[in-house]
Amino acid sequence: MHARSEKLNSHEISTLLRGEAGTISVWNEKWNTQRLVLHVAVIIVGAGLYGAAMGWWRDPQQALYVAIKFPLIILLTTIGNSLINAMFAPLLGLNIPFRQSFTAIVMSFTIAAAILGAFSPLIAFMIWNAPPISPQTVSGATYNLIKLINVAVIALAGMTGNVRLFQLLARLGGSKAVAFRVLFAWLSGNLFLGSQLSWILRPFIGSPDLPVEFFRTSALHGNFYENVFQSLQQIFND
Amino acid sequence: MNEQNPVPPQIPPVIPSIPSGGTRQLGDDPLERVAIPNIISAIEALLRHPRRMMFQLRQPGAGKLIAAMLFISIACSLIYGVVVGTFSGGQQLWIAPVKIAAGLMISALICLPSLYIFTCLSGSHARLSEIFGLLAGMLMLMTILLIGFAPVAWIFSQSTESLAWMGALHLIFWFIATIFGLRFLEAGFSHSNARSHAGFYTWVVIFLLVAVQMTTALRPILGTADTFFPTEKEFFLAHWGDCLNSHDGESKSKVRD
Repeated sequence: MHARSEKLNSHEISTLLRGEAGTISVWNEKWNTQRLVLHVAVIIVGAGLYGAAMGWWRDPQQALYVAIKFPLIILLTTIGNSLINAMFAPLLGLNIPFRQSFTAIVMSFTIAAAILGAFSPLIAFMIWNAPPISPQTVSGATYNLIKLINVAVIALAGMTGNVRLFQLLARLGGSKAVAFRVLFAWLSGNLFLGSQLSWILRPFIGSPDLPVEFFRTSALHGNFYENVFQSLQQIFND
Repeated sequence: MNEQNPVPPQIPPVIPSIPSGGTRQLGDDPLERVAIPNIISAIEALLRHPRRMMFQLRQPGAGKLIAAMLFISIACSLIYGVVVGTFSGGQQLWIAPVKIAAGLMISALICLPSLYIFTCLSGSHARLSEIFGLLAGMLMLMTILLIGFAPVAWIFSQSTESLAWMGALHLIFWFIATIFGLRFLEAGFSHSNARSHAGFYTWVVIFLLVAVQMTTALRPILGTADTFFPTEKEFFLAHWGDCLNSHDGESKSKVRD
């Protein structure tokens, strides 16, 4: 079973989705470049398709941009936090090497991207049915509904990926408490970096009043947390 | 010499495992193992022995069976579409069947990836081809049932001028057919070792929303219009609200229903 589990097969992604912790932990123990390439490909295709569906409402060019930006955020977050995540794991009681923590996080993002990819036809259908984006629609119920459904789908994908990651960590560490601590630390770091990357790479849905562009001209002016702080200040000052 | 034991150890008899819920394994009944050779057998199997259909979908070479089911689904939805088109007559006699058949197939195709994902997340070991086959079975059962409703729908379409009434009647028929189709799909799903049905029920809600929205996206199906596709995008609830609020909705000449 050990040898068979190390070979790539056509059920690779469905095994990940089912969360077969036994098989996945065997995959996680040894570095397999082919498997990593497959998982990265799923992230690029799945998140890319979802991004395209999301950006299509504004403009086909925006769809192309978001198709590039969405997987880019996932991959940059994974790479950017790989060192600190690998350090957190042993400090919090899970003694695994760098490659294991890295592949575990890639696997969780692969699951999320596969779910996003599967929902992309539904999002595209919803966008096709929505009235064209305009200042009126942005202030209306349609825009809020589209935003809400996008948040719900991304939340579902993210939560599922993290539930499967938790199951894998519990298997590797032999303790749910350790798995919870490590997952919490990893999630905090990924959310922190991921939010800022999303801020830099905005827009995603796009505003009808602003031109279609890959980056806003103010992309690197300020950061996500400064903006949240300023918004809170405005609320309390008013 | 004394170390050899002349009496072989007794092996306990193997008791076949019974899945949770007490349901029998697919293929336990010899009838379920009988191949489905043609379209008539496929219809009969789906109506009388759905377990036979589910078992055959797991066998190698199920592609032909799936293709046959899709063919029947398209043919039946085209026939039902002609009946729908008789309400307005004229060009709707070919527009309605095309829109109904295309809408049903596109809805299923859009929802197939999420169905597969939810199936996997539920712990099921079903392959994509098996899920596709079960979905094709659901469509086939739905459209066969719609054919059963077709004479009733035709009689009403000849005796009323109200678009709202006919729209509601077709929706009721479609809803009943969909319930039976989903029952077949759920039965197939429960034979795939799924741990939970929560994902399946979530998918059912998604499928219903997509299918209902498709009727609005492809309108008019029942009424008439100058263009094949609607010029205005609307969500189905807003469109239904417009139809119910409109006094013109009482006549065949009303467009975009």
